[in-house]
Amino acid sequence: MKTKRPFQRVERMTPTMRVIHWVNVVAVVAAVVTGLYIAHPYYQTFMADPAVDKYVMAWNRLVHLFAAITVDITSIWIAYMYASGDRHKPWMKLIPSKNNAVEFFEVVLNIFTFNRRKKFDTTHMDSFNAFWFALLHLLLVFMLLTGLQMYVQGLASGESSIGTWWPWILHVSTDWTLSVFGGNMGVRYVHHLGMWAIVIWTMFHIYVQIWRTIFWQEGDIAIAFGGSKFPKKRREES
Amino acid sequence: MSERREAAVKLFTAANATVDTNRGETYYTDLYRRCEARLSELRAMAPQSRINLHEVLQDDGFDRRDFMKWASATTAMLMLPSSFTPLVAEAAELMNRVPVIWIELQDCAGNSEALLRSDGPKIDEIVLDIISLEFHETLMAPSGHQAEKQLEEALEHFKGKYLLFVEGAIPVGVGKDWCTIGASGETFEDHLLRLSKDAAAVVAVGSCATFGGVPAAAPNPTGAVGVMDVVKGKPIINIPACPANPANMVGVVLHFVLTGQIPELDSLLRPKFAFGYRIHDNCERRAHFDAGEFVEEWGDVGAQNNFCLYKMGCKGPMTFNNCSIVRYNEGVNWPIGVGRGCIGCSEPDFWDKYAYERPMADANIKAPFGGVEKSVDEFGLGMLAATAVGIGIHAAASALIGKKSTECGEES
Ligand code: SF4
Repeated sequence: MKTKRPFQRVERMTPTMRVIHWVNVVAVVAAVVTGLYIAHPYYQTFMADPAVDKYVMAWNRLVHLFAAITVDITSIWIAYMYASGDRHKPWMKLIPSKNNAVEFFEVVLNIFTFNRRKKFDTTHMDSFNAFWFALLHLLLVFMLLTGLQMYVQGLASGESSIGTWWPWILHVSTDWTLSVFGGNMGVRYVHHLGMWAIVIWTMFHIYVQIWRTIFWQEGDIAIAFGGSKFPKKRREES
Repeated sequence: MSERREAAVKLFTAANATVDTNRGETYYTDLYRRCEARLSELRAMAPQSRINLHEVLQDDGFDRRDFMKWASATTAMLMLPSSFTPLVAEAAELMNRVPVIWIELQDCAGNSEALLRSDGPKIDEIVLDIISLEFHETLMAPSGHQAEKQLEEALEHFKGKYLLFVEGAIPVGVGKDWCTIGASGETFEDHLLRLSKDAAAVVAVGSCATFGGVPAAAPNPTGAVGVMDVVKGKPIINIPACPANPANMVGVVLHFVLTGQIPELDSLLRPKFAFGYRIHDNCERRAHFDAGEFVEEWGDVGAQNNFCLYKMGCKGPMTFNNCSIVRYNEGVNWPIGVGRGCIGCSEPDFWDKYAYERPMADANIKAPFGGVEKSVDEFGLGMLAATAVGIGIHAAASALIGKKSTECGEES
């Protein structure tokens, strides 16, 4: 026997988190658009303009680097919130505990069996989503390290406008990528493939959020905009 | 376990590519004194060859002024202060004190050619001519048993003092037995190991000797590798490029004559004075790169205007070498100067990973399981398309099935 239960409002993303989310969206789109140009310039500049007036590649590289730095900064912020979030510490959702495993497979099962079974508390971030985001953050760290390796190759003199410590740090933290991914070119290959992985990640992420909103009827998609979702009250609570 | 730990330590402590061009007053004063001592020591030694540099130079029409100009340019190339110029000039005169044994393995003799067959001998090549070349199969008059005898004598006589120049890759796979040298049928690997045992240092010239080069290109039928994969426990200097620039060979020998030591090397054992900078960062077409002005196809307006060759597959942005600075044939020209892109010939695996006339995104890569070759972008787009198809199917199925299922779980 079904009873109508009232919706409740659950705040899931603070304004800060939402700002980070959308800043990341803009930065990643900018990085993909400019990165594709850097890897293979896909539009041409006007031949009639003198070269001094147009820095098409240079602007693309500048935007790409700024987008990357933006993502890096938000990543550090996110890493901090992973551990310190006062609401629900996301890293705790990554521990392979029984509870998390149940959540994880429940969500995956729901997706693949077109179901809306909710055998866990859906008001909180679920384990599958936490895992999916952790994957993105790993991808971003990967892009950070391979990208900075390409960047430090232009700082051969060991100098930079902010001192010698900067190239030094880049060498120490990223030189290993050369041996692991097969030299200067290998690093470029995997950086470029990493971009495709992030695009695929995004596609799946958006789809799952829409699907879930329609199927689970908890208004999940609203989280990224208004910060809250609206699940029905649980039976005990209603 | 300890092996793995060592490998990890090596991974994170490898010499990086930073070039230190100014080490301070004290360092250079000290170095100057050491070089002086070394040179006077060498001068006291009997020359190994009777060729006199200045006579040869005069015969070829170079006067003292030309020679000093060359010496100051070479001093700059070695990243030494200009006060070292007289020492470098003196070291060039004393090059005939250093015995050199030059062997060829899986190669095309291109590096030997590079130093012999320039349009007219330049000072770099002449200076290399006067090194005391004790053994070089292609250049020496004797052959067969006589040549081998000469080699044995040189090995005996200059034990621990000679520089071993190696040109060509070493087959260590199935091809090991196909490649032998001399009447005794010694394999290339054994030959190299025997000759490097008593060498002062081993210099690998050309991309084949350094990283395996063309013989090691996929599918690497002979199992070719470079010198540093075979010789252990010896100082090794790599001078890659196809062919290696004679200016860099002279630089390495001069550095050895001058200081008795090998120059500072990067993690791939390449001397930093030559391989410390990217081609791209000193390229004459760089302004066009930044402006986004590219040659779109061979012979177009962009090509006529010396536009950047990036879209024609120039690999200058990922290649460390000094050809954009010293060029070839005494600064006459170089690949990008003549209007074709860099093929990254001084980087490991250049034949497979760099030498194609497309930008990196269109490079063919191998799937991890081998076989099918797809370009980086095709691979990425393929994965993306597969995801899109998967999502499409899921969405369609959701629309079909979705209406029927009801919420279950806690409220069922
Ligand atoms: S031609 Fe090659 S090395 Fe020169 S600027 Fe263009 S990409 Fe760089």
